[in-house]
Amino acid sequence: MVHEMVAPIRLTVPGTLLYRAIAVRVVAEAARLVSGSDRRDPNDLLSNDVRHPFDTAVVSAFMEIFNNVAIHAYQRRGGGVIELAITPGDQELLIELKDHGKTFDIDGVEPLPDDMSDASLPEGGMGIHIAKTMLDEVTYEPGPPNLWRLVKRMPEKLSA
Amino acid sequence: MPNPFDITRTDHETSLVIRGSLDINSAPQLAEEIDKLVASKVKRVSVDLAGLDLIDSSGVAALVKLYKGIRGHGGHVEMTGARDQPLAIFKLLRMDKVFNL
Repeated sequence: MVHEMVAPIRLTVPGTLLYRAIAVRVVAEAARLVSGSDRRDPNDLLSNDVRHPFDTAVVSAFMEIFNNVAIHAYQRRGGGVIELAITPGDQELLIELKDHGKTFDIDGVEPLPDDMSDASLPEGGMGIHIAKTMLDEVTYEPGPPNLWRLVKRMPEKLSA
Repeated sequence: MPNPFDITRTDHETSLVIRGSLDINSAPQLAEEIDKLVASKVKRVSVDLAGLDLIDSSGVAALVKLYKGIRGHGGHVEMTGARDQPLAIFKLLRMDKVFNL
């Protein structure tokens, strides 16, 4: 399989949740470049139109990691930036997020309960699980700067 | 930012319609309303998710809070209409069966 990587899409935003929606839109468009998915309404560029499984996986995972950086690295106070490098390839998307906040203990994340009953339904701690399950690779290198590296590949059956 | 939800209460049921994105920025508003619903011991809540485009773990947590809170005092929560990204998230978390989606 040939992976032709194009120049990364670079975006630097303040490390607060106020800039999350902008970053999510950029990532969603980059995912569309790889998946080839169309918008439901091509004239509605502001809709949250995420339906293709590849786009769904990328956007879902990215939202959780962005949340994590804003909440854990910058502790909801901002004061730093999140540097994004989004690289669409022929069959995969690479997203790198760099921050200069506190490091995160990714190994300390508790697994989800095996049994989803009324009592065990979790009200937190789901974000990293979502990201890891949705993507092919999730790596975290503590910094500074801290670096999240997210990779999603197109499954063969979804490729053209 | 406008609320991504509407709440309508009748004598028999409370209807919650959620649209757009239920996420870390909007879920706290919903969680406040959920606290009120749970405190008033509402017995039946219907949740229409047909207009919901995106959800993250904070949005899921708000719906779990609603589900557990209402059922905790013997009430019933019916969720309908989940599609696309939100349905994928519920399935990934194995909550689609719990919520009967």
